[in-house]
Amino acid sequence: MRGGVVPPALLFVALGLALAFAPRRAWAPSLLALFATLAAFAFLPVPQVWLEWIFLGCWTSVIVTAASVHLVRGLNTCSAVALSLNTGAWASAVVCLSGSQLDLLKALPWVLIFFPASWLVGRHASIAVKVASSWVIAIAVLAATLQMLPVTPGYLPDHLE
Amino acid sequence: MERAARRGSHSAWLVTAVGIGLLFSNRAAAHTGTGLPGGFVSGFVHPFTGLDHLLAMVSVGLWGAFLGRPLIYILPVVFPALMVVGAIMGMFGVPLPPVEVGIALSVLVLGASIALSFRAPVWAASLIVAVFAVFHGYAHGKELPSAADPVSYSVGFVLATGLLHVSGICLGLLNERPHGIVVTRSAGAFIAVIGAWFLFRAIGG
Repeated sequence: MRGGVVPPALLFVALGLALAFAPRRAWAPSLLALFATLAAFAFLPVPQVWLEWIFLGCWTSVIVTAASVHLVRGLNTCSAVALSLNTGAWASAVVCLSGSQLDLLKALPWVLIFFPASWLVGRHASIAVKVASSWVIAIAVLAATLQMLPVTPGYLPDHLE
Repeated sequence: MERAARRGSHSAWLVTAVGIGLLFSNRAAAHTGTGLPGGFVSGFVHPFTGLDHLLAMVSVGLWGAFLGRPLIYILPVVFPALMVVGAIMGMFGVPLPPVEVGIALSVLVLGASIALSFRAPVWAASLIVAVFAVFHGYAHGKELPSAADPVSYSVGFVLATGLLHVSGICLGLLNERPHGIVVTRSAGAFIAVIGAWFLFRAIGG
C-alpha cells in the first residue's frame, strides 16, 4: 500500500510551506491555479502502466517544492503559480491511479498549513518552517527510494487487491 | 398449547444467547490488511520505544540549543537529512561498521559534549551529528521496507524524530534561566553515562 491520502497530503504540505515564502499577492492566484488543475486533471484518464513514473514524479515534486523554501529571495508570483500547477497535476495523477477522489478531498486541507507557516515567516521564525520542510524532504526521499527496492512487502498486493 | 409455549421459550433463549454473543464478540479481523506491522502510529511510536535512539535525538536538540545560532536549527536539519542517507544504505544492505556500537557512541559523545559544554565549530558539530545520524538511519532503514505502509511509517517516524529534537531544544532553553545550565549539563552527564553503558553492552560486556 502506498497510495491514498498520504502522497497528495505531503504534496499539499510542501506547497503550503513554499507559499509561506511567497508574497501575499501570490496566494490567491496560486490557490486558484491549484484548484483549477485538480479539477481539470481529476477527469483525465491516466494509464495504469505509468504508475511507477507517476509516483516518482510525485515524490520529486514534493522534494523540489519543499526545497524551494531555501530560495534566497523566496518565491515570486509566477513561480508560486507554477508550483501550484505542478502540485495539482501530480496530486490528481497519483490519486487517479492509486486512491479515490475522496482521498484528494481529505488531503486538500493540508495546503492551509501556509497560514501558520506564513505567520511564522512574518515573525522572523522562518527557521521553524525550513526545519519542517527538511522533514518533508526526508520523507519524500525515503518514499522514492522504497519504490526502487526489488521487494517491499508492504507494496505487494494481498489477496484482496 | 404448552408445546408452542415451550418452543417460544427456546427461541427466546436462542435469540438472547446469540445477542449476548454478538455483544461481547470481537470484530472480524480477517481482512483488515496484509498482516504486516507498520503505519503512521507504528512509525511515530518507534523512536520513543528505544532509549538509545530517544536519548540521541533529544541530545541533538539539546546540544544545538547549547551551541546557539546557527547550530540550533542546522543540527535538526542535518540529522534527518543524513538519517535518510543511512536508511537508504540500510535498505540496500550496504555494509557499515557495527551499527549498535555507532548508536551507543552517539549517545555517549553527544551527552558528553553537553556535559563538558563543548563549543564545537559549526562544521565539526554538523559532521559529528551527520556521522551518527547515518548509524541511526541505517538501523531503521533495515526495518522500514517490511512495514505494511512504509510511507505512513516514514511520516510518523520522521515527525517523531523532529519532535524529539524540538523537545531537546526546549530543554536547552533552561540555559537562559539562573542555574539552568547546571541542569542541562547534568542531563548531558546522565545521558553520557547511559551511553557508556550502551557501549559496554554493544562491545560485548
